[in-house]
Amino acid sequence: MKTLGRIFIILFAFVLLSGLMVIAVNASGVGTQAFGDGAPRPEFRPQAGEQGELQFRPEGERQERGGERGGGNGAFMLFGMIKNIVVIGFFVVVIAWPRSLAKKAKRAPVAS
Amino acid sequence: MTNDGSKNTGNQTRSKLWVDILVFVAFLITMDPRGSGLAIHEWLSLSMLAAVTVHVLLNWDWVTEITRRFLAKIGSLTRVNYILNWLLFIDGTLIMISGIMISEIALPYLGIQLPRGFAWRRLHDMSANLMLLLLGVHTALHWNWIVNTFNRYIFQPVGRLFAPGVKKDAPQ
Repeated sequence: MKTLGRIFIILFAFVLLSGLMVIAVNASGVGTQAFGDGAPRPEFRPQAGEQGELQFRPEGERQERGGERGGGNGAFMLFGMIKNIVVIGFFVVVIAWPRSLAKKAKRAPVAS
Repeated sequence: MTNDGSKNTGNQTRSKLWVDILVFVAFLITMDPRGSGLAIHEWLSLSMLAAVTVHVLLNWDWVTEITRRFLAKIGSLTRVNYILNWLLFIDGTLIMISGIMISEIALPYLGIQLPRGFAWRRLHDMSANLMLLLLGVHTALHWNWIVNTFNRYIFQPVGRLFAPGVKKDAPQ
């Protein structure tokens, strides 16, 4: 029962924050620029005849999009995971390592 | 999260370790939708809500204790940790709600259609990047706990299995 109550509190905080975020985004007006509900999707690519038009779409781009919507790509996943681990590792080295060194230095006997 | 406030039994610490490993691996997979595919990205992210709830439940004593003592005298590191945990919760909520708003597979599968906006997409990307930074700091601040717990519950038991002179089949 106690655990259920705690779960309820966590979910309540989650729902409350979510509601505030939805209200904030809608109030700011940027959330209303919808492209769903029959509204025309804005075109990002240059139209035919415009300067800078791409004559063809690179294969990689199509594969990339397909990978996102479809079954995924093992190589992308491995690269992404390693990249994220490196970022987290960077923080560990920058924050945890100096702390550990300082602790060791504190523990070491002071030479007189 | 063992300092300043919570007393953990061995079982609780072991549970925390496995839940944290689970959340971390799920986070790494969901952070890269191009690699995992959108379906795994969305369903795994939604299920992470349950895993994160368990993570908070396992650290409930610490959370309530520091909430009570926040304005009183507590260590500065504990205070930083507490604020960081709130930022993680807020950012996690933002990722989740923006992800729900731009969902292309999970929500339509459940029969829910939401009007999509560019703002949610950008918020989703930005909050995910911020989450990576916050999680990096969170991991760094708990690095000692991670190393000690890994040693105690994973490396040492595994090491004992291969240690010379230890017979696995010895009668008890």
